[in-house]
Amino acid sequence: MLDLRVPTGSFFLVVGVILLLTGFLDPNARAALTDTNVNLLCGLSMVVFGAFLLLLAWRAARTHS
Amino acid sequence: MKLAAVDYFILFLYFAFVLGIGWRLRKKISTSGDFLTSGHSVPVWITSLAFLAANLGAQELVGMSGNGAKYGIMTAHFYWVGAVPAMIFVGIFMMPFYYGSRARSVPEYLKLRFDEKTRALNAFTFAGMTVFSSGISMYALGLLLRLVLGWSFTTSVLCSAAIVLAYTFLGGLTSAIYNEVLQFFLIVMGFSPLAILAVSKAGGWAGMSARLHTFTLPTGQPGDVMVHSWKYIAHTADNPMGIEVFGLVAGLGFVMSFGYWCTDFLVIQRAMAANSMSASRRTPVIAALPKMMMPFIVIVPGIAALALSHMDVGYALPMKNGGPDYDQVLTTLMGKFYPAGMLGVGLTGLMASFMSGMAGNVTAFNTVWTYDIYQTYIRPGAPDHHYLTVGRITTFVGVGLSIATAYLAQQYNSINDLLQLVFSFVNAPLFGTFLLGMFWKRTTGHGAFTGLLCGTCAAALTHGLTVAENKGGWITEIHHFPSSMAQNFWIAICAWTTCFLITILVSLMTSPRPEKELEGLVYGLTNLKHDEGVSWYKRPVPLAIAIGALALFLNFWFA
Repeated sequence: MLDLRVPTGSFFLVVGVILLLTGFLDPNARAALTDTNVNLLCGLSMVVFGAFLLLLAWRAARTHS
Repeated sequence: MKLAAVDYFILFLYFAFVLGIGWRLRKKISTSGDFLTSGHSVPVWITSLAFLAANLGAQELVGMSGNGAKYGIMTAHFYWVGAVPAMIFVGIFMMPFYYGSRARSVPEYLKLRFDEKTRALNAFTFAGMTVFSSGISMYALGLLLRLVLGWSFTTSVLCSAAIVLAYTFLGGLTSAIYNEVLQFFLIVMGFSPLAILAVSKAGGWAGMSARLHTFTLPTGQPGDVMVHSWKYIAHTADNPMGIEVFGLVAGLGFVMSFGYWCTDFLVIQRAMAANSMSASRRTPVIAALPKMMMPFIVIVPGIAALALSHMDVGYALPMKNGGPDYDQVLTTLMGKFYPAGMLGVGLTGLMASFMSGMAGNVTAFNTVWTYDIYQTYIRPGAPDHHYLTVGRITTFVGVGLSIATAYLAQQYNSINDLLQLVFSFVNAPLFGTFLLGMFWKRTTGHGAFTGLLCGTCAAALTHGLTVAENKGGWITEIHHFPSSMAQNFWIAICAWTTCFLITILVSLMTSPRPEKELEGLVYGLTNLKHDEGVSWYKRPVPLAIAIGALALFLNFWFA
């Protein structure tokens, strides 16, 4: 059966990378009320989360086989 | 609010993943059980998050942040007094009967425990309610997207309905559950940064409290009421919700939330899909943990919005017809804090919450229609593949009916209020029936049926005799409530009490079923296995105690 951690992890990895790129390429893109580079930070946390899920799935698949 | 190309790309990517999951799961479906009940095969962490996400509609995100700005942290009572105790209760005390009875749906449990007419009453009202509520939330989303992004109502409704249809049609309940988990993570990832940004801009929790201290609410109470959940609850006049402690604890904490979380097949279906009895009991208990954290994501930004609107930072509450438009609090915050990119994620989260709510309704409708109505009254005894086909066709019909309801609600705005009212009449007494059915073996089918009907009538009667915010009182006015929330709580209390008493009375007058027939259905006649030798966090009861203690702590901390 499909391990849900694979699609979920991949999704957040991809979206995280997109946000990271947006944050790097356009660091001055800020919304009205904040000075934080929101895309960069959120992208980073999504990449970490996505990679973590993929790692768990990979470990489960390895012990399974 | 304008979206950039990157926002659209993220939205598109999400749709692709959702459909991909449905596509990958399509091969798993070979029987009607696979399609409609997931064949009792889903791991517990997945059922838990789906249990939560199926209930986490777009209306909750939008509505609760609006309530945060309107009522403050008291809104968290819906979580810390309402949902969490009920979720723990259903897991520990009720799942053994739902799961152990091998019933495929909540109405089917009623059939096993009581009789055919009680099942029919529940199956038909539930089927009607799910279709209508998914239609209403579809309507709410269409309205919001038109308002915020200028998208056409038809495009957003049809587009999201088509995607939900596609993945539930392909992979059935499993696909809906899997996608609900993805949706849950997206909602958390998409909205928790907003909470952090808005609160830190408003000076942190302490800064916000200090700021809110300095002014008076439009309703005349001190702003301090926004940051305390219990301090101002002794009298209805002290808080903007217009509620007092008994109405809150008995009405919301007991009747309404137990009535929803313990009997609504939409959520119970997720726990029933778990792969073991222990897993099905742990499903609602584990779900209670993220549930009690939701106020920090959905309510706190609303409070921050109110604080920000009193600071000189360039944020004002959105207005409509001279008053604040609380439904737009969340989206205006997103516009002020999220740049292109993260804005796309937030918006996708909003769409995801809508889709998870809708898929939940559609899959629950499917099962009840196919098993409890079609297989029971229209065509019993057909081979299984026939019911699989019926289940698939029902997916189409369910989505179609929801779309029709969305348009109906668009045409006649008041239909929305009317339907919600009718739902509350039907839902309020249900918990009385289940409580007696599961814990008192003397309860009879006639008692349950009569009690349910009388409870529903009592709800309607209470509404007809009381008035709040110009609503109700269609018979005559004998009492006036300070808010419709207080009125709802009291309607629930009256309905539940009536149902409870009438069920006992009629049960005592009718002949009970032989105990032999009730094994596995009633407390005291069911052998509950003790799972010894398993670590504490894998056992339902210790887990429930830990999570209950945490909820208690949150109540004290924000009191």
